[in-house]
Amino acid sequence: MKPSEFKWQRLVRAARRATDARDEAAPYGFATRVAAQALAARESSNPLMERLAWRALGVACLVAVLGVAANYSLLQNGNAEVEGFFTPDDPAAIVLEVS
Amino acid sequence: MSEEEAFDLPGCLVRVRARDQAAARELVEHLYPLVIRIVRSHLPRRVAEEDLAQDIFLKMFTRLEQYQGTVPFPHWVSRIAVTTCIDQLRAQKRRPEFRWSDLSENEAQLLDNVLTNDDESPPDEALEARELVGKLLGQLKPDDQLVIRLLDLEQKTIREISALTGWNGALVKVRAFRARRKLHKLFTALQRKERS
Repeated sequence: MKPSEFKWQRLVRAARRATDARDEAAPYGFATRVAAQALAARESSNPLMERLAWRALGVACLVAVLGVAANYSLLQNGNAEVEGFFTPDDPAAIVLEVS
Repeated sequence: MSEEEAFDLPGCLVRVRARDQAAARELVEHLYPLVIRIVRSHLPRRVAEEDLAQDIFLKMFTRLEQYQGTVPFPHWVSRIAVTTCIDQLRAQKRRPEFRWSDLSENEAQLLDNVLTNDDESPPDEALEARELVGKLLGQLKPDDQLVIRLLDLEQKTIREISALTGWNGALVKVRAFRARRKLHKLFTALQRKERS
């Protein structure tokens, strides 16, 4: 053991003998305050999450509808564009049987 | 029958999950001695012990749904307490360099005794020794401080420290090694200053 390690262990042995005489019981009102605060937080956090989840779902549906509406013309003309895009001897067209 | 045996912890947890405030209060009162012992041994500077204990209990209630029952409930709470204390320690600025002038007269005498006397028996001044150990440990990084406190002051095993902190055994050993090396440097520097 290094001398410094030996000195440290001596000091620590002395420190371990110190007894803590402080009271370990919860201070008056502590448990009531913490319990009320904790349960209030749990009650308020769940409906908040629920409300946020419903709002997120609504926004997602709206975005989906707007997306379809904005691209409606593309979807309608999609087949015609695909047909014009491929030539009859195009290998991709043969594979896809578009022509 | 002791109070420990009389307290129905599983029943109390069921009632707390059903949002019974009286059960939550009983749980806090039951666990307070355990939590406050951990807080007092790892209390960062300038943090009120009651505030830290309150943070720990609020975390416990918030995470209660995650408790699976694989470890005893007090162990699970101890882990929350230790990690909360270490988060607080990490959030603090490092202490300035350790100086003899920061010590009280009794602490300085004790340190002088330890540095100059090769006697094997520990000094008598237990309270001063505890204060001094706290000040010396304050020079280490929070994680290293925690490992040395648990190993040397609380005499916990590597396995127990792993369970409390969530660090694996190798990491605990590495941190202990690094902390001891830093303590060795600190002692050498103090001895040099004491001689000069």
